[in-house]
Amino acid sequence: MKYRTAIEIRNAIEAGEITALEVVEYYLAKIKVEDKAINAFLETFDESALESARKIDAMKKAGEALPRLAGVPVAIKDNMTIKGQISSCSSKILENHRASYDATVVKRLKVAGAIIIGRTNCDEFAMGSSNETSFWGAVHNPWNLKKVPGGSSGGSAAAVSAGFVPIALGSDTGGSIRQPAALCGITGMKPTYGRVSRYGLIALASSLDQIGPIAHTAQDCALVLEVIEGIDEKDSTSLELDEKVVPELIEKNFKGMTFGVPREYFIDGMDEEVRKSVEEAIELIKQNGGEIKKISLPLTDYALAAYYIIQPAEASSNLARFDGIRYGTRAQTDNLWKSYLHARGDGFGAETKRRIMLGTYILSAGYYDAYYKKALAVKTEIFNDFKKAFEQVDVIVCPTSPAVAWDIGEKFNDPIAMYLADIFTVSANIAGIPGISVPCGENNGLPIGLQFLGASMQDGKILRAASAYQSLTDWHQKDPK
Amino acid sequence: MANIEFNLDRVAKLAMLELTDQERAKFQEQLPSIVAYISKLQEVDTSNTDAKTYLSDRVNVFRADEVCDSDEDTHSRLIAAFPNSKGDALEVPGIFE
Repeated sequence: MKYRTAIEIRNAIEAGEITALEVVEYYLAKIKVEDKAINAFLETFDESALESARKIDAMKKAGEALPRLAGVPVAIKDNMTIKGQISSCSSKILENHRASYDATVVKRLKVAGAIIIGRTNCDEFAMGSSNETSFWGAVHNPWNLKKVPGGSSGGSAAAVSAGFVPIALGSDTGGSIRQPAALCGITGMKPTYGRVSRYGLIALASSLDQIGPIAHTAQDCALVLEVIEGIDEKDSTSLELDEKVVPELIEKNFKGMTFGVPREYFIDGMDEEVRKSVEEAIELIKQNGGEIKKISLPLTDYALAAYYIIQPAEASSNLARFDGIRYGTRAQTDNLWKSYLHARGDGFGAETKRRIMLGTYILSAGYYDAYYKKALAVKTEIFNDFKKAFEQVDVIVCPTSPAVAWDIGEKFNDPIAMYLADIFTVSANIAGIPGISVPCGENNGLPIGLQFLGASMQDGKILRAASAYQSLTDWHQKDPK
Repeated sequence: MANIEFNLDRVAKLAMLELTDQERAKFQEQLPSIVAYISKLQEVDTSNTDAKTYLSDRVNVFRADEVCDSDEDTHSRLIAAFPNSKGDALEVPGIFE
């Protein structure tokens, strides 16, 4: 297969160089053989994918205009609903839960001619930074099978990285798109909160969750974002958009753009190679017309603590609905209380229970003001810090993750060490701003991620910066061996 | 907050979670240390800040209360996804003794 990106595949189908059916058959065959070692997919939808491909080919044959993602295979994280398919959130409690409707993003992808090729593994209910909490087993990093792919959208990131699909959807509550994209050497974007409808995304923390694209390039991310974004009457937090993202990103330099480098994102204990690669990227931006300004985001150190209050609090409340009555398997006991305890005790894994417990504690009488309300106040302060920063700069540039991929099992029994993996990504969720991670280097054969953050609704700006960076570098063109 | 009070049994009951002995032992050790970590937020002065759940300035987004977008297919899929049902009726356990 000589086509690697969604844009290349779509154009090749339009030009008649390849059929949609050939594209889908190629990817399905590759997944069947190579995913045994990676575990990125929970299921592929062979029949419906082939059927959709035939429809695209028939449209082409009939001379009809092809939609924007015609014939492009896409993988969907297992926490978004696809009508008629299982949506398990990689949890035992939903292992047999079949969705009755399409998430808005899935509906929009289908309308745009994309082929939904399968659903991908993730951390249970998207809680995790390593994809080890899945009921269906860990995902392995395609660059080194002993390493984690990051999380929670580890399956979607590994699938793109391994060449199983050109594009995938992930969800990002505290870094769950950007961090696995960094660890798997690909491009992943969390749009502005409200830019993409969350209808059909099984909620983790409703005030932080956002769906976004995972791809090889910023250009593909822009294309997918353009298809899925925009107001949706089924999500009251979705926003009316003033400007659409420009899908064609043609900038080859950074002229006219000011980049902020926050000193709090270069900390003791971070991987030296990560620091070096990010500093080299900043130098490249400078040499190619970007203005660099040192800035400060003083509350960065507190963002993670605020995150690990808001997120478990909202998760404990969102996950209260899973009690065996409305979803999942109902426990057969003579006593209703016991049936709740058993359905939840048996259905949730350890990390999910840990966060439900933490959230329940935070929201319980006597602690609510000290923790939850305090965290919301800090959230407002963090938002104000970013607002001030974006009065001086267009885009913030920083590392995505303080380290490259670590060994499977290494941090599994140390929750705080695991939570620290999100230290550079959670702030964007707390402030509701967009962020994108692009590959910018390697350490011992493992990819390093560079992050661009933008002001609220300035998704186009970070895409332009990322795309300009990719026109000057070739890290995004490297594949795992 | 040097002393973290974390009553595991009380919280597990509020959270409606059955824990194994192994989980109980692990959580008893881990949860107080996570609480200690997040307690560092108390260092931030927020005396002049409003606590907002959503940063957007929109409030009360309503739509007209009208039946929309439902069809026979969705209806039957919803019932099939429910753990127990009889015909079109959803079966739930009794809540009174």
